Amino acid sequence: MSHVVHGSAPSSLSQRLLRAYDRVGFLPVVLVALVIALALFVPRFLSLQNVFNVLRSSSYLVIISAGQMLVLIVGGFDLSVGAVVPLASVVSALTMVWANGVAPGHTGFVVLLGVLAGLASGLAVGLINGLSVAFLRVSPFIVTLGSMSIATGVALLLTNGIPVYGMPKAYVDGFGRGLWLQLPTAVYLAALVVALVWFMQNFTRMGRYLYAIGGNLQAATVSGVRTKTYLVLAYVTCSILAAVSGLALTAQIGSGQAVISAQLTLESIAAAVIAGVSLKGGVGRVEMVTLAAFFLLILTNAMDLLRIDPRIQTIFLGLIVVFAVALDELAKRRTRVD
Amino acid sequence: MTDAASLAPSDVAPRRSLLGWMLVFSLPLLMIVMELSVYAFAPRVLSLRNVVNVLNQSSYLFVFACAQMMVILTRGFDLSLGAAVSSVSVASALAMTGLAKLGAPDAVVVAAGLGAGLGVGALVGLFNGAFVAGLEINPFVVTLGSLNICLGVSTTISGGSPVFNVPDVFSRLFYNGVLIPEVSIPITIAIIIGVALHFLLNHTTFGRSLYIIGNNPRAALVAGLPSRRYLLTAYVACSLLAAFGALMLTARTGSGEPNLGGSLMMESIAAAVIGGVSLQGGVGGVGAVVFGALFVTMLSNSMDLLEVGGYVQQILLGCVTILAIFLDRLRRTRA
Repeated sequence: MSHVVHGSAPSSLSQRLLRAYDRVGFLPVVLVALVIALALFVPRFLSLQNVFNVLRSSSYLVIISAGQMLVLIVGGFDLSVGAVVPLASVVSALTMVWANGVAPGHTGFVVLLGVLAGLASGLAVGLINGLSVAFLRVSPFIVTLGSMSIATGVALLLTNGIPVYGMPKAYVDGFGRGLWLQLPTAVYLAALVVALVWFMQNFTRMGRYLYAIGGNLQAATVSGVRTKTYLVLAYVTCSILAAVSGLALTAQIGSGQAVISAQLTLESIAAAVIAGVSLKGGVGRVEMVTLAAFFLLILTNAMDLLRIDPRIQTIFLGLIVVFAVALDELAKRRTRVD
Repeated sequence: MTDAASLAPSDVAPRRSLLGWMLVFSLPLLMIVMELSVYAFAPRVLSLRNVVNVLNQSSYLFVFACAQMMVILTRGFDLSLGAAVSSVSVASALAMTGLAKLGAPDAVVVAAGLGAGLGVGALVGLFNGAFVAGLEINPFVVTLGSLNICLGVSTTISGGSPVFNVPDVFSRLFYNGVLIPEVSIPITIAIIIGVALHFLLNHTTFGRSLYIIGNNPRAALVAGLPSRRYLLTAYVACSLLAAFGALMLTARTGSGEPNLGGSLMMESIAAAVIGGVSLQGGVGGVGAVVFGALFVTMLSNSMDLLEVGGYVQQILLGCVTILAIFLDRLRRTRA
């Protein structure tokens, strides 16, 4: 199809560039251009402090977006991630405070228990979502809308909206605000998550099955894929990743918060979509999602540095999301024609 | 499309078991059971005052859910609805208070408020529709974008605080005036909109085409329907209806509120879908929205009367939403 346009051997440099562009898409190009422009015109952008900030805040979004991507690949949707983050935050903090009362001094035990409780809360939400979508065949939009409401309600009910203090110092200073080899710990966590998801997508049966399910559910079922199991797995992974992000965020903030990250759901979907993940399912790569998450946060950071009013910033972000996807769509259409 | 259920001719009445009939009427049944069980604990729920109150409140949600239905029918949805409501509210209030300060006559002030509000609504609808219909971009992304844009616009032009002193005449017109004795204005408007929309959807080419586009976009295209134009019109109609609802809400509060639309996006989608408007497109109607809006309003009203705390309400609302959709699913496959 596309070789009608670019079929013959690349005769000129421009044609070769165009083919390279078609292969990687526009996102890396825009990202590099953005970074270069910012480095040239906004001096503080490359200051160590600022780079840390961007890296750290991107890490949380990268982790959540990777999970969101998995659900989008199977043709689903997860509106509840933004509620799982505060839920995991509150549950882990409360558990740590409780464990600290029961066994004071055993920091390792306290932290482990808190982390496990936080992850379990994510698992619970993921199971509600996954089981409802896979077995009750309810629309993912509504299920996750419902579980979002439930998770938010539980988080608020547990704390009355008051921050939970009293987590072990080692957890907050050592993990949440700590630096390993000069980099915030959240960056390593995000890198680990991306590496694992990348490996899963490229080298495991689960990765291939997820694409197959999203591409054509019927065909996947007929070919003997246990589609229900993998659907549940996708939702559970997504929620657990959201919980992981919530744990890291809690450690950085230093308290369990029932009212963090209202925007994270929409941002994670925006990042995935900018990265070319199809909302119809079957398409999406974690490395691109990572780039898109960086892109979104660098953009926000740049507007902060340029002292653009936060209210105007939201307008810009809205326009950019739409135009980014529009450009991508037009580029795809150009290669698809004939 | 491959569902056995959708292949069965709907004109032939199938033989239904008792369970089947109960499923068909699952939502009204659920509503009756809910009201009766609440009555046992809080008899006020069935008092005339409370019933009128519920009807009044649900008429707003009805308008927003109708707006949402216009695009859900075409397999889309509108995430920007709540934010657009805020923008419309602020814009119309600013226009009215500005003109009122200059001493313009009431008619001009109200006309300006209507014009500004519906104008903003039309702009949002054109933006959404142009990208969805023209460039075939996923409605989720487009309306996510316009959600952010509207959010920024409403907080910027209002400075983040409410715009007070909306003229009384506007409130009388859309909220507490008397048009038909004993029937409140919001209910009157909701009925007019419902009847008009029912006619539009069932008896005009545009309306029927929306169902075809939602059922099978390819077939609509092959059949030679001007799909793009209709799709654009659906998004504009959605935003205009939402803008009208926003004007009604502005008349009620008497001020332009930058946070007016907070939870409306989710509530409007939930009401439409609970009523039976399918997110897969092509299924639903005004009747479904009536039940959906009533159900959601009744639920929160019942919980208020039972003095259920706000956080628990949120949890129950989530559970009930999932349950209602599940029942809807059963109704469609079994009955």
